[in-house]
Amino acid sequence: MSRNTDNHFDVIIIGAGVVGCSIARELSRFKVRVAVLEKESDVGWGSSCRNSGVIHAGFNNQPGTLMAKYCVEGNQSFHSLVEELDVPFQKTGKLVVAKNNREIAGLKKLKKQGECNGVKNLDIIDEQEIKKLEPNIKGVAALLSPETGITSPYLYTIALAENALKNGVQFYLDTEVENIEKKSSGDFVLKTQNKQFIADYLINSAGVYCDEIAKMADIDHYRIYPCRGEYYVLDKNASSLISHLIYPVPNIEEGGLGIHLTPTVDGNVLIGPSNEYLNKKNDYAVTTEIVQKLFQEAQEYLPGISSKYFIRNYAGIRAKQTPPLQGGYRDYVIEKSEKVPNMINLIGIESPGLTAAYPIAKQVVTMIDKKEKLSPNPDFNPSRKSILRFEEQDEKTKRKLVEQDSDYGEVICRCEQVTKKEILQAIDNPLGARSLISIKYRSRAMMGRCQGGYCQTRIMELLKEKYNYRWNDFLLRGSESYMLTGNRSNGEPAL
Amino acid sequence: MKKEFICIVCPNSCRIIVEYNDKKIRHIEGDQCKKGKEFVKNEIKNPLRIFTGSVQCKNGDYQLVSVKTNKPIPKKYMKQVAQKTHELVVEAPVEIGQVIISDILGQHADLVATRKVKKY
Amino acid sequence: MNNKDVVIIGGGAAGLAAAVACRERGIEDILIIERESALGGILKQCIHDGFGLIKFQHSYTGPEYAQKYIDQVEERNIEYLLDSMVIDITSQKVLTVVNKSGLKKYKAKSIILAMGCRERTRGAIGIPGTRPAGIYTAGVAQNLINIHNYMIGKEVVILGSGDIGLIMARRLMLEGATVKMVLELLPYGSGLPRNFNQCLSDYDIPLHLNHTVVDIKGNKRVEAITMAKVDPHGKVTLSTCQEVPCDTLLLSVGLIPENELSKMAGIQMDPLTGGALVDEYGQTTVKGIFACGNVLQVHDIVDNVSLEAEHIVNGVERYFSSLVIPENNIKIEPGEGLRYVLPQHIQYLDDTVFSFRVKKPGNKKQIIFRNDHRIIKKKSFIRVNPAEMIRIKLTSSELSDISDSKLLKVELNE
Repeated sequence: MSRNTDNHFDVIIIGAGVVGCSIARELSRFKVRVAVLEKESDVGWGSSCRNSGVIHAGFNNQPGTLMAKYCVEGNQSFHSLVEELDVPFQKTGKLVVAKNNREIAGLKKLKKQGECNGVKNLDIIDEQEIKKLEPNIKGVAALLSPETGITSPYLYTIALAENALKNGVQFYLDTEVENIEKKSSGDFVLKTQNKQFIADYLINSAGVYCDEIAKMADIDHYRIYPCRGEYYVLDKNASSLISHLIYPVPNIEEGGLGIHLTPTVDGNVLIGPSNEYLNKKNDYAVTTEIVQKLFQEAQEYLPGISSKYFIRNYAGIRAKQTPPLQGGYRDYVIEKSEKVPNMINLIGIESPGLTAAYPIAKQVVTMIDKKEKLSPNPDFNPSRKSILRFEEQDEKTKRKLVEQDSDYGEVICRCEQVTKKEILQAIDNPLGARSLISIKYRSRAMMGRCQGGYCQTRIMELLKEKYNYRWNDFLLRGSESYMLTGNRSNGEPAL
Repeated sequence: MKKEFICIVCPNSCRIIVEYNDKKIRHIEGDQCKKGKEFVKNEIKNPLRIFTGSVQCKNGDYQLVSVKTNKPIPKKYMKQVAQKTHELVVEAPVEIGQVIISDILGQHADLVATRKVKKY
Repeated sequence: MNNKDVVIIGGGAAGLAAAVACRERGIEDILIIERESALGGILKQCIHDGFGLIKFQHSYTGPEYAQKYIDQVEERNIEYLLDSMVIDITSQKVLTVVNKSGLKKYKAKSIILAMGCRERTRGAIGIPGTRPAGIYTAGVAQNLINIHNYMIGKEVVILGSGDIGLIMARRLMLEGATVKMVLELLPYGSGLPRNFNQCLSDYDIPLHLNHTVVDIKGNKRVEAITMAKVDPHGKVTLSTCQEVPCDTLLLSVGLIPENELSKMAGIQMDPLTGGALVDEYGQTTVKGIFACGNVLQVHDIVDNVSLEAEHIVNGVERYFSSLVIPENNIKIEPGEGLRYVLPQHIQYLDDTVFSFRVKKPGNKKQIIFRNDHRIIKKKSFIRVNPAEMIRIKLTSSELSDISDSKLLKVELNE
């Protein structure tokens, strides 16, 4: 299936979110020429980086659905996956808390549903047991799911992409697909701003934009309704208040899991997400009403929590298939169409998308393999190492690291104890993503209390030193997000 | 005309009320020292300010040497002085007090360095 | 393990003054640990003047003021480490320091905390809207312009009328940007009165009190902000929302003492100041660890930082002399109308300067130091302002009047 021209691929994946990157990696196990086209300046900048990072156990999904099947499979295989990819993962467990006796029926329903789906070790616990596990949380009963865990959704997405890249997949960032043409030969011709691509197979993993990509290939019957979820990030000090994920009993009509508390692998706590249908697909603003609502909800869960703990907000957008008035869920659609048999569309991959990404990717590969009989790539290496975090090492190791490489001795981000070495590694990432946000996600610099107050200018200094950055090279989040408007003076003496 | 001025000479920030017409002062109230009186007199006739800014510096451990006028100059020249700071580059080493531009804009004040810059 | 008599964390205004004062007392074995590449702290980027009016009766710029102390440090051969970060500190006064040369541990007889403060961020005050490029805290903008020679924007709105915001308003105007307005949540300005004059009025920059930013628009770079009026309770009046096109939002919304290390050492904090609980000589709740400067309380005038640092060195000296501390344990309590009082307790009955801030501006006020029924001291003020720290000295004889309940209440009255 190999081609000679460099823009001709066997498979092109549109959208480098966690699903697209998982598919890329799974395909790289075979002798297939794969390219991933991503319209943003880095992988995962859509929904993949903007969620709670939860690896769900699978009791929230209706039995018999793909959501349920892939969620349970994804959850049960996650720990071996993260070992290969060197991505953080903690099985914190989850408590779905009933505030009153009427909600207990809801808990029982979830337990039954979970067991039906194959979720292990679900248990309903009482008030005293809740107190033992979570002294700061009040509830009359709770569903305990020990199999639920948390990961870093952006480190996971980046890891998948880097491993796929290492195994031969090509990534084209800042490359938005504008037009898809089907040739009579069956090939697809993709037009982007810069380059033209040709592919035998197309994988549409464009998230919120998957309906628009499908439409480009004359597949009209999909429709995505963007639904925003806003979050508040709480200071690390708040992480001493809870150790499990704390969820309310879900309101089925709302079509979300409700506003919940999520510890993160870095030691922060998230509160969110909200649930608002939008008109635009790229409106990541955070709103006054929700900011206040999240603040109140945090107070309800953890009475007396200090306002000093609230350090920042962000938002993500769900690719929902159900319109606003209907709410609820529709199962994942992963299919080829009769009209366009060589295009696989992944429609409506919302929660538990992060958990389900790996099984979804395997399914996509199976679909292609059925027709093409893929041969294995003997050079495939599943292992990938992430940037070593100085802060996580014990003192002995820290001392050794500095001895071996003095760049570990310069702490650039004070709040998160990130060293120059890690920041340089983040800047030098294999995907070539150089926005400040890309460096932030990979190194954790700027994610602490001061939000870059100390380290931001130092990171800019490093970029200037290493890459001769001029003022217009400093981008916050991709093309045109200029951080500066010029030099203060250009040092040209007047005559 | 009666106007209240906040004196900028020292942290006391005295509120000095001045009664005047045209440029002739009839009454001053609220000043606690001579400098304050001087200040409001100037504020009415010809407001003066110290300019602070930076000038590019080559081959030093800082790329900008901070500068100031060593005497207050008419307020109306602030932007022009700022423009002048864009127009030259000095060379390290620079000592505090070093004259960068003498008699700037003919106002009998020098633009002097306020940062010590060592040669890199 | 390296032993040191005094380790000073931070080589800014407070750390430098403390170091010089320690040496003047005859303490030889001093080490300043500074995380940046040069001494001077935030003064390096404060190129405006107004520093030194009290200490030197002269108006210096930040770098000049810093150099005065740096020169003394050099002249006296006081040891310092640059590009060095304290990553751990214990209540036994063991510090772990990291720099290019390695990871080293220091056992200090005494530690002076002088880490300064950080700026409050957009995230911390939860301004709604998008998160585009062009949102800066004033200090970061100041650094980018004054140290790195960059321009951060062309059409700027400033939120917060604190001194840093006002100083930056002027700087931006002089460097060719347009500052459209300064918005202030409170009914009064947060900065020093003279800065409103020379930074805003001078440049015809409007100041809108009782206003805040309720939305930020712009996908890649700031395109506009929405300003709105707030009622006396700080609640937004939605009908007053107005969109202001701009490309930069500058935030000057408060400083927070940087006490992560202090908490590591087990030092008790005062939620009112954000800094450590101290006695009149800056002695924290861990014996031998002292605090001074912005890390103890946010200052508005650097001269007071130097004075505070120089004063706490008396405590260090006493600590070394191992004279028995009298432990009078007189508690100082701020009354209604006062945000805080420092020190929070006193052990000795020496002349003591008390620092505090009022909660709201006011005219014709009196500060009363009261011990039970007894008035220990009274002082009148024509005007009081939260932006201006008030310092009042009580003499040894005044303090020795305190008896019985070891409680000194500081009240703000008409």
